[in-house]
Amino acid sequence: MSSEGMDGPKLGFSFDLYSRNDMLTKKGLKPPGYLKTGTTIVGLIFKDGVILGADTRATAGPIVADKNCEKIHYMAPNIYCCGAGTAADTEAVTDNISSQLKLHRYHTGRESRVVTALTLLKSHLFRYQGHVSAALVLGGVDVTGPHLHTIYPHGSTDTLPFATMGSGSLAAMAIFESEYREGLTRDEGVNLVTKAICSGIFNDLGSGSNVDICVIEKGKKEYLRNHLTPNPRTYISSKGYAFSKKTEVLLTKITPLKELVDVVQVGGDAMEE
Amino acid sequence: MGDSQYSFSLTTFSPSGKLVQIEHALTAVGSGQTSLGIKASNGVVIATEKKLPSILVDETSVQKIQILTPNIGVVYSGMGPDSRVLVRKSRKQAEQYNLLYKEPIPVTQLVRETAAVMQEFTQSGGVRPFGVSLLVAGYDDKGPQLYQVDPSGSYFSWKASAMGKNVSNAKTFLEKRYTDDMELEDAIHTAILTLKEGFEGQISGKNIEIGVIEADRTFRRSPDCSSNRRLSSRGRVAVSFSFRRCFKYPE
Repeated sequence: MSSEGMDGPKLGFSFDLYSRNDMLTKKGLKPPGYLKTGTTIVGLIFKDGVILGADTRATAGPIVADKNCEKIHYMAPNIYCCGAGTAADTEAVTDNISSQLKLHRYHTGRESRVVTALTLLKSHLFRYQGHVSAALVLGGVDVTGPHLHTIYPHGSTDTLPFATMGSGSLAAMAIFESEYREGLTRDEGVNLVTKAICSGIFNDLGSGSNVDICVIEKGKKEYLRNHLTPNPRTYISSKGYAFSKKTEVLLTKITPLKELVDVVQVGGDAMEE
Repeated sequence: MGDSQYSFSLTTFSPSGKLVQIEHALTAVGSGQTSLGIKASNGVVIATEKKLPSILVDETSVQKIQILTPNIGVVYSGMGPDSRVLVRKSRKQAEQYNLLYKEPIPVTQLVRETAAVMQEFTQSGGVRPFGVSLLVAGYDDKGPQLYQVDPSGSYFSWKASAMGKNVSNAKTFLEKRYTDDMELEDAIHTAILTLKEGFEGQISGKNIEIGVIEADRTFRRSPDCSSNRRLSSRGRVAVSFSFRRCFKYPE
């Protein structure tokens, strides 16, 4: 910052570089932007299963495109997947693999396993060499127990007891790292996930609106859509948004235009028709 | 047979206008185990006899009635391996339809696509027709439906139908017993009685299979029922299905 060294307590902002930045902007340098994937998705394993959580804001650059979208996707009756990244990519890839899992279930007559969904997803993403921009948190409970995985756009995966992804992942991970412990009960788990997502909603610009939760246990699942809505619409003006139709007249001044001139034909031929 | 010169090649018509290979395929179906289906006012039932080649065969491993989608099931008469190929293809087509239109495939659409596959194999080189006829039972927005698909690729909608060995007797029996306003419980009862007509030996829960679909649009199959059918020794059938507890395919 300041090149003068330590002289007295530093109070307030240092605007030393203001004139330099101003000059650069005038010369055409674009300041760095905020374009991020804009999501907070989390998952954690509790005593009896898996809890997944997500915010509900979809962004198109700096604009909020959807204030209440669904980021927790169905994969199988016992497996759900949160998606961060390009919304179309996460939708398409989870739909596709969900379809493949269904056919597999008919063929084998058995419940799908989380590792099957994991392998299908990671193979798909690897095949597309990262161009399918989908970062996923996959969780579910099958015959071998509860599982939680993260999948990165290039196809690498991690198996974790708690996980966060998206632009709000740091905010959410801060909550998890300080408060997660093994053997949480269902309510403790839901509260922790809600806290982590709220941390993302309020501290990350790319995440916002409401909290979606999905609790998966052995033999049952609960999809809590809009479990928490900490951002209700409160700005509706009581007067409404109707404006008076007339424009207020402040001053009337009439300026005559130049006189109209009548052209009189003096002689000569009329124009040929 | 005067057509014998034309009977080896599938893709050649005989002078009488038939494709003899398809006729032979229908004969293969006709010598298969009896299966039948009945459409009731509030559901459809399909049933088949499950005669195993020996008592040493583990009957729980044999599943003749299969599910195609959560609301459509199928049974066959004829060559088992051929039916497996068709079931696999149909499941995939149904799933592709679902992916594309985000709605469960209507029964008629699935039947049409399966029939199209069977027809392909009657007009290609180096292949033979499928040696199965399928009875497709489903429940969709148009209500309960029952279709039969033949090796030629033609399909028909039936109120009640039978295929396989005992087809003529079974059909006569069904014609007598069928009523338009039949309920599903009656239909199941009639189905078992019809099977019993042509059954060689003692009918029991272990050597028939029943598939049912009702207004809840979930296909259920019998052999995995916890409470089995009780078929009394005097030949009267006591139907004690509890289909709600029955095996449901994983969704």
